Amino acid sequence: MKISFVINNKKVSLDVEPSMRLLDVIRNELHLTGTKEGCGEGECGACTVLINEEPVNSCLYPAINAANKNIMTIEGFRETNEYRVIADAFADRGGSQCGFCTPGMILVTYSLLKKNPHPSEEEIRFALSGNLCRCTGYQAIVDAVKVAAVKGIKL
Amino acid sequence: MIQHFVPTTLKEALKILDERDCYIMAGGTDLMVQKHRGSGLLPNFDKDVLYVMNIKELDYIKTDAEGNLRIGAMNRYCELMNSSLVPDIFKTVFKEIASPNIRNMATLVGNIANASPAGDSLLPLNLFNARVVLSSVKGNREVLVEDFIQGVRKIDRQKNELITEVIIPNCDLNFYYRKVGSRKAESITKVSLMGGYKIEGGKIKDLRIVFGSISVKVVRNHFIEEKYQGKSVNELRARIDDIINEYDHEIKPITDQRSTMEYRKKVAKNLLRDFLKHVK
Repeated sequence: MKISFVINNKKVSLDVEPSMRLLDVIRNELHLTGTKEGCGEGECGACTVLINEEPVNSCLYPAINAANKNIMTIEGFRETNEYRVIADAFADRGGSQCGFCTPGMILVTYSLLKKNPHPSEEEIRFALSGNLCRCTGYQAIVDAVKVAAVKGIKL
Repeated sequence: MIQHFVPTTLKEALKILDERDCYIMAGGTDLMVQKHRGSGLLPNFDKDVLYVMNIKELDYIKTDAEGNLRIGAMNRYCELMNSSLVPDIFKTVFKEIASPNIRNMATLVGNIANASPAGDSLLPLNLFNARVVLSSVKGNREVLVEDFIQGVRKIDRQKNELITEVIIPNCDLNFYYRKVGSRKAESITKVSLMGGYKIEGGKIKDLRIVFGSISVKVVRNHFIEEKYQGKSVNELRARIDDIINEYDHEIKPITDQRSTMEYRKKVAKNLLRDFLKHVK
């Protein structure tokens, strides 16, 4: 079935099964491998992408549900000024170690700060609660989000 | 070869369902896990699939003339959490379901259709006497969520029917809710309890108690609830032990990977006691 959407500001039209996981569309059809597969069952958030600016787990997202929507992966987000501010904050606070969860963490951070530019620690932890990290123990990530919020993303 | 159907109107969807037996896919957060085969592989569907998220007619959160809240089959938790029409107690429950990412995908109707004994939204739906609307080419019928769910993943839906909406009557009670799980986020319930009550002139005007994850479906005993209506708050508080005993035969949890039967039974009774102490 022909499915059209915008991904990283580019219009794309693909002939794929409607039930194909969006994660597989992104990694295997479009060769955008910044989006990671962790658990494959919606628990870890490594496969997070933004759809119409909302974070979702692409491992459970049927491709057809993305039709005519706007998808942003880490590759597209990397081209923005907001990415620079968040990535620098993660580097500054040691918010990324092995890096596997980082694309998801960064996209969720962006979506949080866009809606709520000055979140409390509790709000940060709530927003990141679907993204697991096995390295940092989370504190460094929470600190990085706070730094990014202070630096202010001109949104 | 299985076929995939992506109707854009309800009429079209009902016609398809009248002709064939389909899996019905909304947000996918349950079905895509249940049918998952592995990385890079298509989900393992053994019959046709009908996708509902393109049926714009099923996208609404509104109140009707009788003051009921009506929620369409397409509406996701994130939308309900942002709606001023949705009662706060539902939002309290939704906040503890899965994760923000999942709540951006998962629908309320999907949680009903999945009929898990640990489905958290089923507690307030049951307590509010909510109903689902089932539509087919023959017309519509309404069923109480309490009756619609018959057991573990067993629902009162015919093959040609689609759950098109949930109707939640207005319910002006004081609420209590506790979900016991392993973590704050992404935890599947071990035991949960929701209570609702209304006191007028020191007497109980309304009392409702539902338990989650302690039986094949949400447990609610109307007989016990009605027995205490009209009684004074003092009498209720004096009879807390009796009430816990009355519920004893209803609390039939199992041991599984999340918890044990003994723990669940103990905690369910403790939650009931805690709720009853809150009634004042």
